[in-house]
Amino acid sequence: MLHRMANSTVVGQAALAVPGSPMPEPPAGLAGLLGQHRGPLTVDDDFLVLDDPLEQEDFSHPLEVDGRTLQESILMVQGMYCPACTETVEAALAGRKGVVSVLVHAATRRVTLRWDPAQTLLSELARDVGQTGYRLLPMRHALSVEQRLAETRLLMWRLFVAGFCTMQVMMYSWPFYITEPGEIEPVYDQLLRMANWMLSVPVVMFSSMPFFQSAWRDLRHGRIGMDMPVSIGILVTFIASTGATFDPTGVWGHEIWFDSLTMFVFFLLGGRYLQSRLRDRTAGSLDALMNRLPEQCERQLADGGFEIVSLKRLRVGDVLRVQAGQAFPGDATVLGDSATVDEALLTGESQPVTRLRGQSVVAGSYNLAGAALVRIDKIGRDTRFGQIVSLMEQASTEKPDLVKLADRIAGPFLVLVLLSAGFGAWYWWQIDPALAVPIAVAVLVVTCPCALALSTPSAMLASAGALAQRGILVRRLLAFEALCKIDTVVFDKTGTLTQDRVVLREVIARPGLEREQALRMAWPLASASLHPVSRAIAVQAQPLASAPNPSQPSAAPSSAPAAEPVDLVQERPGAGLVLERAGGVQWRLGSAALCELDEAQLLEQGRSVADSPCAYLCDEHGWVATFVMDEGVRADAPAAVAELRAMGFAVHLLSGDRLGAVQRVAQQLGIEQVVAAASPERKLEVVAALQQQGAQIAMVGDGMNDGPVLARAQVSFALGHGAPLTQSQSDFVVQSGRLSELVQTVRQARRTLRILKQNLCWAGGYNASMVPLAIAGYVPPWLAGLGMALSSFVVIGNAMRLSRLPDMPVPDPAAAAAALSVR
Amino acid sequence: METLFLLIPLSVVLVLAIIGVFWWALYNGQYDNLEREGERILKND
Amino acid sequence: MSAITADALSRAHSDAQTGIYNDKVVRQFSVMAVVWGVVGMLVGVTIAAQMIWPALNLGQFGLEWFSFGRLRPLHTNAVIFAFGGCVLFATSYYVVQRTCQTRLFLGPLAAFTFWGWQLVIVLAAITLPLGLTSGKEYAELIWPIDILITAVWVSYAVVFFGTLATRKIKHIYVANWFFGAFILAVALLHVVNSAAVPTSFWHAYSAYAGVQDAMIQWWYGHNAVGFFLTAGFLGIMYYFIPKQAERPIYSYRLSIVHFWALIFTYMWAGPHHLHYTALPDWTQSIGMVFSLILLAPSWGGMINGIMTLSGAWHKLRDDPILRFLIVSLSFYGMSTFEGPMMAIKTVNALSHYTDWTIGHVHSGALGWVGLISMGALYFLIPRLFGQKKMYSVPAIELHFWIACVGIVLYIAAMWIAGVTQGLMWRALAEDGTLAYTFSESVRATYPFYAIRLVGGAMYFSGMCIMAWNVWMTVRMGLKAGPVPQVRIPAVDPVHA
Repeated sequence: MLHRMANSTVVGQAALAVPGSPMPEPPAGLAGLLGQHRGPLTVDDDFLVLDDPLEQEDFSHPLEVDGRTLQESILMVQGMYCPACTETVEAALAGRKGVVSVLVHAATRRVTLRWDPAQTLLSELARDVGQTGYRLLPMRHALSVEQRLAETRLLMWRLFVAGFCTMQVMMYSWPFYITEPGEIEPVYDQLLRMANWMLSVPVVMFSSMPFFQSAWRDLRHGRIGMDMPVSIGILVTFIASTGATFDPTGVWGHEIWFDSLTMFVFFLLGGRYLQSRLRDRTAGSLDALMNRLPEQCERQLADGGFEIVSLKRLRVGDVLRVQAGQAFPGDATVLGDSATVDEALLTGESQPVTRLRGQSVVAGSYNLAGAALVRIDKIGRDTRFGQIVSLMEQASTEKPDLVKLADRIAGPFLVLVLLSAGFGAWYWWQIDPALAVPIAVAVLVVTCPCALALSTPSAMLASAGALAQRGILVRRLLAFEALCKIDTVVFDKTGTLTQDRVVLREVIARPGLEREQALRMAWPLASASLHPVSRAIAVQAQPLASAPNPSQPSAAPSSAPAAEPVDLVQERPGAGLVLERAGGVQWRLGSAALCELDEAQLLEQGRSVADSPCAYLCDEHGWVATFVMDEGVRADAPAAVAELRAMGFAVHLLSGDRLGAVQRVAQQLGIEQVVAAASPERKLEVVAALQQQGAQIAMVGDGMNDGPVLARAQVSFALGHGAPLTQSQSDFVVQSGRLSELVQTVRQARRTLRILKQNLCWAGGYNASMVPLAIAGYVPPWLAGLGMALSSFVVIGNAMRLSRLPDMPVPDPAAAAAALSVR
Repeated sequence: METLFLLIPLSVVLVLAIIGVFWWALYNGQYDNLEREGERILKND
Repeated sequence: MSAITADALSRAHSDAQTGIYNDKVVRQFSVMAVVWGVVGMLVGVTIAAQMIWPALNLGQFGLEWFSFGRLRPLHTNAVIFAFGGCVLFATSYYVVQRTCQTRLFLGPLAAFTFWGWQLVIVLAAITLPLGLTSGKEYAELIWPIDILITAVWVSYAVVFFGTLATRKIKHIYVANWFFGAFILAVALLHVVNSAAVPTSFWHAYSAYAGVQDAMIQWWYGHNAVGFFLTAGFLGIMYYFIPKQAERPIYSYRLSIVHFWALIFTYMWAGPHHLHYTALPDWTQSIGMVFSLILLAPSWGGMINGIMTLSGAWHKLRDDPILRFLIVSLSFYGMSTFEGPMMAIKTVNALSHYTDWTIGHVHSGALGWVGLISMGALYFLIPRLFGQKKMYSVPAIELHFWIACVGIVLYIAAMWIAGVTQGLMWRALAEDGTLAYTFSESVRATYPFYAIRLVGGAMYFSGMCIMAWNVWMTVRMGLKAGPVPQVRIPAVDPVHA
């Protein structure tokens, strides 16, 4: 899509690794390559916007070091594809004056840079890096990223403490498992218990804090959460065991359960830690998607000159000059003669639209032809763009946390556990009071919530991990569940089912003229415009244009867009291009009207094709050639749609494009239910209506106009090339854009749910059988601890089966990269 | 087994010391960016 | 200040900062490692021969200092502390400098560790044959020497950790963690186990008595194996395998996990040396269980090292040094499997006091410690003496094959001997008395002692080949000019 041009540079063809995935192997001969290792990008941004203090607030903060005030900035590096890239980027920065320290984190493409504002500017540093083929971008939400990382680190430490202490406690508990009471001399018995107690204290006071904090929060809100039984279990076990250690003849009984306690905490924390890491990885890769250079534009000054400012500084009433390829930063009124805009992001229209003086352009649409002078009417939230974002946020239902899924089970379970424990205590109090507390505690310990607590996260995490390796990002783990319930799949058309740009399908040339010659003739015109049709022609004409040809009006051998002065080619909005040659020779490329041709006549003569968009080339003598365009349906779309229908899903096509175009695509794919010419609001209505009829909908889209409806659907898929905002709000992001991955995801979701149910069955069965046994007094502490451990292993082991996708070969990263880079 | 009066407290102290060392390592940033460190030795000398 | 002046100034500054690695002490330890290797293994071959031909005890000449009982601890101390110790000193000093990109801290103190350690060895070589011993296995040296060891060891710790503290690279490479743990653990073990009450200059009573002493002794003994012979050499593995293979460690993250998992599991494995003794049953059981658990981290480390060659196995075909390093890991895996098996009480009931234990020790010592040391030394020596490679690469090949065959002969012989002994010793006749006399079991195992001698002699001759090769390499290096002074690369502080 043309929106990619906002960064004003063509992204190179090198293998751009799928963000979030592990980096591929560097080329052989690491050492030898380090000297000349380069990035794939051609970077000619000036980065001046990075120096704007207002922008810097997002990703930099000041730092006092040795009496100097430095800045610490967190940036993303675009273009890294192998570990050697890290060296190049660091080397590019390390030598520069004013750079105090630079650290590149390969896996997340993040660079932490400390620099001295007195000695250098960020724009200079970014340009230096740009020279080596990588682009530095400010890290959006940099500070929250730091915070997130600090949280994960703290969790890792809690986990380590728990694990370490668990090992030692197990060692000291072992004698109790294998000896009869009295076999160990009392003084050593006590020594072992004391050691156990001392090592359990850090686990309870420090490692368990996340559970206590969360349970306390739930309690204050009057809810019952999963962490409640966990916290109660830990506390009761610890208190009872402490009592047994220091007062063995007292009410707490003689048994200690420090081993079960510490192991229990370790496993649960392990699950939390893995969840945190996955969240970091997913979030990190989405950060990569969201990060772009802050927008800047030219604002007219009082004296008529222009200054470059960041978008954040714009006010209503500002007059801006928006260059070709830039997005309009706000809703604006055209002040010049006209502007040709691409509103595809918003409306899905695949044809550019002309707005005349006095008419409005919408924020987010792209200026296609020449610099446009506009006056800002609305900014930010007030713009159409902003309204769509609001729509998305409103429409999206609250997505509950993973933990809350387990909470649904936790509530009744907790009550059951407490009742059982209480019952056991009361019952045994009648018979033998000394046993009451031990048995109650045994009930609490043996009914390990950890199998329950782990069964859902472990299955979902394993699944998400497996999918991530294929480039399918799972943003909302609970979507797995929702995906299994859907019965309808709704597709967007442009960019989802079809390639995201028009493709030149056929060239019908004047008799005696070869196809190649026609293309060469069209090149000087086509190369001068950003119109999708022109670009489609230019792509095919460019290789031919390099070869010399006497009949060519004016050869442009360079590979860049025509070095020919643009003012020789005139772009007529809504019509086409006109090339004036010295001597009055005129060439035209565009609509039939521009070329003064009768389209119906051309059709009769076989010089045009009905139903497909056509561009005509003519010279002073008349018609030269017809270029027939096609919106290519994606190669894997027919198979994917067929597969979905075979699996029993109803498939709909919902598009903002014209009916003819939509029907053409629908026919190719065998989709019967079609809605065309739909605005974002209309799309929402259609989906809502379907839902009211009881349909469970999965929506697949890519553009901004799909945003609200993606949020509304029960499950949403965004394709990797689409609008970043859309991707960041979807449940699944298919980064490769391959529709076959959809089917794969559905299958994986079904597997996940199956295994999840197995896990829950196991956890439920285990608890159901162990509780009565524990109440009856048949479960000695070592068995309770052992059972709990085994139970967790079973659940985790079962979940691990999800971590590899069955029978599909691992996609070739080069092919995936190629798929990504072909746009 | 009087040696246990030596060995057990000694090992508890050791555990706490080891935890302390790990804390230092973690917060000193020793475990950031691990992928790179394995390769670093191949570059020098 | 003009740009030119600023540049010149900063260049001068960085010149002063970069210096030269202290490889002198590394050279000294490396060469002495080879020397003591030959000596220690020669003593080993001697005592193996004495077990076949008791006349070799030279008792008839009244030379009691040549008897088996005196020479055996000389052998164990020489191969573990003299050979193994010098290898550890050499490699740890080499690795810590290069991974921290800084010169050794307190060079003169490092020099003291060299001379001090050589003095310890020489004193051991004198006192042990003279019969001066504490009676504690792997800690036989008398108390004055223990104090010298403490002084050297504390100095070692100061030098090593001082170098880490003054490092230029922020990250501490994983090998250094293993070295650091080994140094600290050995210090603790030595101080605790050697605690004694002297009665004269030559004699002291252990601070512990009876089964308590046994417990402390084997807490020490097994951790000596675990930290001196395992953790320390794992540090060597984690550096020299990637360097020789020119590939990074398979999973650096795993190596960190491996480190932490190993050190805290090792502490309690000691009691497995005391199965079916006066030690309380439950203490024996702890030892058994934790020896079994030790299997996991040990194998994790082994896999990490071997898989470093994943995708480059062909290098093993062409590079004998790499072969030493990688094959040592397979012996490591074997020993760390065999050990836990032997720690199981029922198995131990058969193996305790038999030659199977000797077999196990030597598969670890010859297979793991020996081969990794040789590989590391073959890597180091040429570089330390300014050569591109060892004087004779075919000699390395020969050494490798002789050593391997020797190891296999040795341990196979000991397995058979050990199991035979165990079975014969426990065999009961119908009336419940012992079926075999002790001397019958000796006669049965006798041929395997001969095979063991052959295996040991082969291993020793391999060591001799190495000594020759090293001698030729050093000579060539010294003839070519002064030893190389390796500049420490300037580290850009911005991305250390």
